[in-house]
Amino acid sequence: MPEPRVDLPQGTLDLLILRTLALEPQHGWAISERIHQISSKVLFVQQGSLYPALHRLERRGWIKSRWGTSENNRRAKFYELTKLGQKQLELEENTWRKLAAAVAQILETN
Amino acid sequence: MFNDVMLRLRSLFCRKTVESEMDEELRFHFEKQVEKLVRSGIALSEARRRARLEFGGMEQVKEEYREARGVNFLETLLQDIRYGLRILGRTPAITSVAILSLALGIGANTAIFSLIDTVMLRMLPVQKPEELVLLLRQNPKRADEPTSSLTYALWEQLRDHPDIFSGAFAWSESRFDLSRGGAVQQANGVFVSGDFFGTLGVQPSVGRLLNTSDDQRGCPGAAVLSYGFWQEHFGAEESAIGSTISLDHKIFPIVGVSGPGFTGVDIGQKFDVAVPVCTAAIFDGKESRLDHRSWWWLRVMARVKPGISPDQLKARLGVLSPEVFANALPSDWDADGKKDFLKFTVVARPAATGTSGLRRRFGEPLNILMGVVGLVLLIACANIASLMLARASARNKESAVRKALGASRGRLIRQLLTECILLSSAGALLGVFFARWGTTLLVRYISTARGQVFLDLSFDSRVLVFTAAIAVLTGTLFGVLPAIRSTRVSLSSAMKGGLGEESERRVRFRPGKWIVASQVALSLVLLVTAGLFLRSFVKLVTLDIGFDRNNVLLVNANLKTAGVPQERYLATFEDIENRLRSLPGVVSVGRSVLTPISGFEWNNNVQVDSPNAPKGEDALVDFNFVSPGYYQTLRTPILAGRGFDARDTKTSPQVAVVNQIMVQKFFQGTNPTGKYFKVDAPKPGQPPVVIQIVGIVKDSKYESLRENTPPTAFFPITQIPDLDDSATFELRSTTPPAALTSAVQESIAAVNKEIPLEFRTLAKQVDDSLVQERLLATLSGFFGGLALLLAMIGLYGALSYAVTLRRTEFGIRMALGALPGSILRIVMKDVAVVLSAGLLAGATLSFLAVRLLQKLLFGLGARDPLTIATAIGILSAVALLAAYLPVRRAMRVDPMVALRYE
Repeated sequence: MPEPRVDLPQGTLDLLILRTLALEPQHGWAISERIHQISSKVLFVQQGSLYPALHRLERRGWIKSRWGTSENNRRAKFYELTKLGQKQLELEENTWRKLAAAVAQILETN
Repeated sequence: MFNDVMLRLRSLFCRKTVESEMDEELRFHFEKQVEKLVRSGIALSEARRRARLEFGGMEQVKEEYREARGVNFLETLLQDIRYGLRILGRTPAITSVAILSLALGIGANTAIFSLIDTVMLRMLPVQKPEELVLLLRQNPKRADEPTSSLTYALWEQLRDHPDIFSGAFAWSESRFDLSRGGAVQQANGVFVSGDFFGTLGVQPSVGRLLNTSDDQRGCPGAAVLSYGFWQEHFGAEESAIGSTISLDHKIFPIVGVSGPGFTGVDIGQKFDVAVPVCTAAIFDGKESRLDHRSWWWLRVMARVKPGISPDQLKARLGVLSPEVFANALPSDWDADGKKDFLKFTVVARPAATGTSGLRRRFGEPLNILMGVVGLVLLIACANIASLMLARASARNKESAVRKALGASRGRLIRQLLTECILLSSAGALLGVFFARWGTTLLVRYISTARGQVFLDLSFDSRVLVFTAAIAVLTGTLFGVLPAIRSTRVSLSSAMKGGLGEESERRVRFRPGKWIVASQVALSLVLLVTAGLFLRSFVKLVTLDIGFDRNNVLLVNANLKTAGVPQERYLATFEDIENRLRSLPGVVSVGRSVLTPISGFEWNNNVQVDSPNAPKGEDALVDFNFVSPGYYQTLRTPILAGRGFDARDTKTSPQVAVVNQIMVQKFFQGTNPTGKYFKVDAPKPGQPPVVIQIVGIVKDSKYESLRENTPPTAFFPITQIPDLDDSATFELRSTTPPAALTSAVQESIAAVNKEIPLEFRTLAKQVDDSLVQERLLATLSGFFGGLALLLAMIGLYGALSYAVTLRRTEFGIRMALGALPGSILRIVMKDVAVVLSAGLLAGATLSFLAVRLLQKLLFGLGARDPLTIATAIGILSAVALLAAYLPVRRAMRVDPMVALRYE
């Protein structure tokens, strides 16, 4: 029973990851799970995009990674937001809100 | 930023750790996913399957992950190189053929380019070479070709202009005899003005260099050695300073040695010993070059003051010119000459790269050779491209597998290109060795007995960059097409095995076809070029030059430095000539002031009392002074009248023998024997000398083989106006001329041990005048042959490959009853199409391009139809020969074997 999935628009994955990590440090699987759940199972992040994206963000210095222990005591790589990432998140949130509002406005005017 | 670098470095140097961490992270993700599915009530095996499907290919994800990691470029480059080396190593024969042909191509390009670099582009190894200018005089009548030779008087006018020049110097090359009698020991000398070294900023390595106080009129003279000469002749002993050196039998103290690396401002020559300009008076005696105002022996360079623009300099020199020439006016010129002289102007040319006679002689040939070797490299590239194409198609399956395993197409192309650049780099490396060897050989080739060429052939960064650039360029050039083609595989058909029918039809012969056709075209251009140069050269060599160059030894003797008094010159020369005549093996002996094709000329205006006779500059006639034995020795026949004999003495009436051209030009072809012509007296103010023509001699070349034979008048050597101290003996012998030298030496030593002698053969002298032509003919011939060979290999390879691909088809055709003849037709049709397309393109190209060669050709037009036809014939024959083996193989396909193979 395939769930209804929506492909992420270009560039939004970074925002979603940053937003997810703003709550607490997470490992990769949990990030994709959380996005999946919070979006009421509409958004689904492919592993093929998730890990390259995580790495990209890390290289930009917006998130950092460390090895930790998962809930059932397994070694897992956790990602957390950096100060720089926090700023970037605010920036992107703003942009996104403006964009979304503008798009919505256009759609609502007949 | 910092983050970025650290992470990249970590991935590069801790590759293993990073890779295993990535594995672990992804595995963790996968297991969490499975766990989640299991929790939702799905069986473990089904959960695993679903998770794997969701994942969408673990290897792809990893590859993309790696890509995002960023190091990838370097990391995969290393991987590609390792893999490429393995692949290349697996086919050693193909790889070595490819590397070798690339090495030849790149080596040839590097060699020619390094010569161009050395001769034309390289800066002088002195301080701020970009400030140097060469000062020339410009005749308004011939404004496009200013000349650099100046007189001492002009130099005195030019040297002190501190408003525009921060320094200036004059110099003049000369050859000095180092010996103290007997066989001449030549050294390259240079007269330099006092500020030569100072202005250039050259430092001494030992002792001191010359300065302005050394260069005053009446100077005693001092010598500075070049570093190389000091090492070779003085064993780099510091005791050389303070010892003496004999130059043309004058003794000079050695005061110092110039710094290593400095060989003078003339590229292609090196000086051994430098003496001040003022010493010319010591060598010349009473009337020296310092006083003679029409002795054009010096060249002048200046260092322009910083801040003076070329326009300012030009304007300033324009203003200075009238005064400069007025103060240096030669007093003995006639009124017209003086008027012209005063109109001369001084112009400056940038001289950062020094000056060089090589540029005029070899500039154009080198550019043409650069084009030739460029074409050779292109042909080699085409060869390797078709080779790679064939191999790439054979690797279709490998490409498919790698693609299926997650490699992107870009990655595959990069892998193939890496292989190609590996190949071309190996070729370039080997090519550099070829080039080193080639340039040395070339320089030796263009050196002649009288014009030793010395070039600093060390490769500078420009040459190395050039080589590296062409290596990468060629690698890309021959790699791109195969890489793009071979990675365009359809996964399913390739995996099915074999090439798949669909791809087979597509691959067949098409891209290879165009590669081969372009090879044929380029080879034709090279063959035509080679043909033109070869035929020009043959024409020059077989030209009727009017004398027999073989078996003649030339012996130059100089009586002045031997201390023979002037009134004894004639008797001494005659004594020597008689002695030489009696040497065993000598058939006849002549003596003359000039020898043919020596590069020297002596000419003067001649007046004939006839209304139609040429006047002014048209009346210029080349002169020579010869002894009675001259014509017999050179085998130039006397056509009418008589040659010279014992009747013609210093005091007898003046007579001359003229050549046919002179008869044509001055006497409209009528027999001039017994008639007279007049020549200006050697001293101004005296009446012209009247000379009677006593004979006509066959035309012979005077200064060079390429010239239109000039009107020439010969005079008895006894009647030479100023008794010359130097003469050349011509000895015709039955034995090889070189074997005579020691006998000649002994015989002349019996007259006077001090006489310096110089030996060479007439054949060598004529040969040496053809250096440029021989160079072009030999090299273009060599490269034409190479191109032919490469094209043959290319055609053979492409055709064999095409035949292999179509084996099944031919098998089926044969099985269905096709005769070998019809298979032959199929294959030959391909060959014919490729060949004619290539020939057509090549002929068009040659037709357009060869115009550039016209100036260097002799006796035939650049679009010489015979040459083009011959080239087409040779190329077609070679192409058919190359096609023979593959075609025969196609005709012998055994239907059963071919079918079973599939």
